[in-house]
Amino acid sequence: MKLVKINEDNCVYCHLCEVACKTEHSVSKDIIKAVKKENVLSRCTVEFNYPYSASIMCRHCDDAPCIFACQNGSMHRDERGYVVVNTQTCVGCWMCIMVCPYGVIKQGKNDDWGLSIKCDLCPDRSIPACVEACPNEALTFEEL
Amino acid sequence: MKWMKDVKTYTPPDFHVIRDPDRCIKCKACVEQCSFDATFYDEEEDKIWNWDAKCVGCNRCAAFCPTEAITIENRENPYRINESWGKWNVVGVKKRAAFGGAPVVSMGSDKPYIVYWDHMLINASQVTNPSIDPLREPMELKTFLGKKVDYLEIEDGKLKTVLYPQLELEIPIMFAAMSYGALNYNVIEAIGRAAVELGTYFNSGEGGLHKDHYKFEGNIIVQVASGRFGVYKEYLDVASAIEIKIGQGAKPGIGGHLPGEKVTASIAQTRMIPKGTDALSPAPHHDIYSIEDLRQLIYALKEATEYKKPIFVKIACVHNIAAIASGVAQAGADVIVLDGFKGGTGASPQVIRDNVGLPIELALASVDDRLRQEGLRGKISLVASGGIRNSMDVIKAIALGADAVYIGTATLIAIGCTMCQQCHTGKCAWGIATQDPFLSKRQNPNIATQRLVNLVNVWALEIKETLGAMGINSIESLKGNRLALRGFDLSEKEMEILGILHAGE
Amino acid sequence: MKYVIIGNSVAGINAATAIRQNDTQGEILIISDEQTRPYSRPLLPNWVIGEVSFSEERMFYRRNDFFDKNNIQTLLGQTVEKVDTKQKTVILSNKENINYDKLIIASGANAIMPKNITGIDLDGVYTLTNIKGAKKLKEDLVKINSIVIVGAGLIGTKMAYDLSKIGKKVVLVELAKRVLFPALDDYAAVLIQEQLKLSGVDIILNDSVVELDGDKTVSQVTLSSGKKILCDACLLSVGVAPNVAFVDQNIKLDRGIVVDDYLKACDDCYAAGDVASIYDIVVNVRRPIPILPLAAREGYIAGLNASGHEVKFGGGFAMNSIEIGKVGFISMGLIESDTDEVLEYKKDDKYRKFIIRDNKLIGVILVNNVEKAGMFNWMIEKKFDVSWIKDTFLNNDFGWKYFDKAFRVLRLDRKLQR
Repeated sequence: MKLVKINEDNCVYCHLCEVACKTEHSVSKDIIKAVKKENVLSRCTVEFNYPYSASIMCRHCDDAPCIFACQNGSMHRDERGYVVVNTQTCVGCWMCIMVCPYGVIKQGKNDDWGLSIKCDLCPDRSIPACVEACPNEALTFEEL
Repeated sequence: MKWMKDVKTYTPPDFHVIRDPDRCIKCKACVEQCSFDATFYDEEEDKIWNWDAKCVGCNRCAAFCPTEAITIENRENPYRINESWGKWNVVGVKKRAAFGGAPVVSMGSDKPYIVYWDHMLINASQVTNPSIDPLREPMELKTFLGKKVDYLEIEDGKLKTVLYPQLELEIPIMFAAMSYGALNYNVIEAIGRAAVELGTYFNSGEGGLHKDHYKFEGNIIVQVASGRFGVYKEYLDVASAIEIKIGQGAKPGIGGHLPGEKVTASIAQTRMIPKGTDALSPAPHHDIYSIEDLRQLIYALKEATEYKKPIFVKIACVHNIAAIASGVAQAGADVIVLDGFKGGTGASPQVIRDNVGLPIELALASVDDRLRQEGLRGKISLVASGGIRNSMDVIKAIALGADAVYIGTATLIAIGCTMCQQCHTGKCAWGIATQDPFLSKRQNPNIATQRLVNLVNVWALEIKETLGAMGINSIESLKGNRLALRGFDLSEKEMEILGILHAGE
Repeated sequence: MKYVIIGNSVAGINAATAIRQNDTQGEILIISDEQTRPYSRPLLPNWVIGEVSFSEERMFYRRNDFFDKNNIQTLLGQTVEKVDTKQKTVILSNKENINYDKLIIASGANAIMPKNITGIDLDGVYTLTNIKGAKKLKEDLVKINSIVIVGAGLIGTKMAYDLSKIGKKVVLVELAKRVLFPALDDYAAVLIQEQLKLSGVDIILNDSVVELDGDKTVSQVTLSSGKKILCDACLLSVGVAPNVAFVDQNIKLDRGIVVDDYLKACDDCYAAGDVASIYDIVVNVRRPIPILPLAAREGYIAGLNASGHEVKFGGGFAMNSIEIGKVGFISMGLIESDTDEVLEYKKDDKYRKFIIRDNKLIGVILVNNVEKAGMFNWMIEKKFDVSWIKDTFLNNDFGWKYFDKAFRVLRLDRKLQR
């Protein structure tokens, strides 16, 4: 299964993966609107602890604990084999957050309900937005 | 605003960082990329500030800004215009007065001296001799560096003469001496890989060679400089050639100084000095005070490597360069490297960089002349370096008499350098001239290698095109062929030294 | 091969999924006394106050085509009266016998009805662990103006907050000295209590209900302290007890159904979910841990083992995630200890607490900064040696950046199994 490989030795801590992620997951697909108006949450998070930095996102576990913990089947495996959230049904109980061994699920909002925000590996793209945006190949899309 | 300007040392900022608030999305890419603290984020105000006085104009922030919200502008001289002083002399005086120290700078001189390359035009074939299409016909760029024999003896159809060791270059372009210490591991790794892929050589510089880079054996030229850092048996063994560094174009007559904070554990091991100590290269080699002394070192190195490797001698271009080069040739050097005035450096006193030396074009022409006159040019090879900016500079250098060129600054520009001249600070925002492990990550050897290979391959293509236009199918035929060049806007004396005719002649 | 699964909720559904992944041909039958499609039990409080309805897909545990897609038979609205593990038969209350090759008991747990409370049979006494109880409360909700909730566990607390939000007068009675007693310590509980009070809930701690009075319907609650509270209704949420009435003597009982490491209760019979008494790796005892994530995993593993695999279930531990007003918390494992190493960070409504025994993490409470909670969960589960990293636990930016590089790279490259 192809996944985003995190090459921490190449990460320059530029946050461009986050910007690309926000844009890709916005309604407008416009970088400035996505950040300034839509307040989209990034699915990846860049961490820094000198000299380490890396962008961390869902690793799409084979036996994903988040899927087991989900109270109404919102967290599921899609036809590509990736772990994704059904945004229409998620109620934001944060049980997936409670069990995610990588700590990569964020707390978002969807109307009145909470919404678990996590990497969906950009279903509308052949290469995830973060990988494409990374200027230094710190994120690459390959078999893991 | 969290800064407070030091009025006592104030000089007007060189740059103005303009941030378009409509475009800025506060992603902080610029903040994290700026290694000079010229950009910072105020969490309380949720605002990104710029501190112009700290900006070095490296454009790292502008390059990374995803919304192109940042523009870096050169600030005009705010003082009353004084043509005879200029801003630099005024600021120069102020800085020396304020800090009490001689300013150290890096890269090649940026002062507006004449660039002779730009005053030479290249010939092409029309009617009387056919031009060649390099896409259809073979075009030879292969170059051999090393001592040549006067004649060949053949016995029973076999070569009887024993040839001197040679370096075989697929392209007459090599990567100039830039040491591990000036550059970081990742950059050397990329340069080494590119040299291997291109079939050319890279020079280790005077800082020794990291054990990991021994894998580039077959494409390495190692340097023996006045500090003798990292020189030992294996270092000489992995090399294809050994270069004795007498001087550097950017700082003729001046030694080197790698400050202790840059001497990391790995560099210390490579240079064979204690960690954290200053790495000082003396101005002269303390065992070389004459041509005869140089000869001793050349033969000591030849002896140590069983006469299997050509010995290069690198000299900075200075006033009596022709006579010096002749002496070096007679001392037994196989290859003479001329380093021009515009060559780069990781750190040099400003006054030296900007005022001492000779332009490579004049030095090359005069050395080539002198060696020809003395019958030595056919025996030894000449390498030009210091200010080779494009493929046409390469062609012109070869026409003026060089066998090959070294490129240093162009190498760095290819992998990101913007010539902001901050190498000596060790804070290179492009991750090149820095040992900071966080900044060094900015050079990904995979990407950098590809860029270097691209650059040299494109230059090679351009050289082939130009050779074809001239009706030449081998770079060998261009060597020292000054009829291929015409000068313009030059004085008669300049043309006399360059050995070229004026355009139209 | 015929698989029979008792229970149509989390454990049962996951068991069926696992079986179907392994055995595409076998017959799978799910028996349940509930008529509905499997639904999300934690959403019942939201459903009662009308935040969500059964016309919305988010109310259900699986999508509508789940049973067809996986070729699973269902027998709904039927109560199991007896399981005969010798004859491998399930006897329904309508006396119908169903044979099985493999049986998975995932019958869950029901609300405890404390016997020591008099008047518990009155109208107006509700429970809220399944749709039946919830429906009763929802139907009567218009008539109810004031309600006493007995037991400030997860259901009681959430319901108290939700009912108060829609304007009901709520009194929350808890026997312990704080709300959410087994899930939170004093400091965190106070944060929750503040939120409850802000929304208008009266909280009575250290007290219990002894008597319900009323003429047909509850109208007054008497506490052991003698205090009397007038009300229209009473919600009992003092915990759940496993549904084990139907098992035969081959199946050992100890609070729940005793199972081995492979979730086997006896030959060809497995138990999973709230009904099973599993190994608690934090307190080292076997007990039912009635939480959804464990039920799902147990169900899945029981399904795998029933269909020919041998997968060990490593045990579990209690964990909870809940949001009351502005305070969201996640707690896992042990929450209080006088004898172990305790790390705490307290600042206003931010709270982090870690309990470490023999360099292993055994308990965590996170309040209002929970996004990295799962990393601690994993450390508890894997009995990870935290001696070299525990100093960073209290940092609000805890994350992969504090790990050793070699380990981090292996984990993020998925070279190390979770």
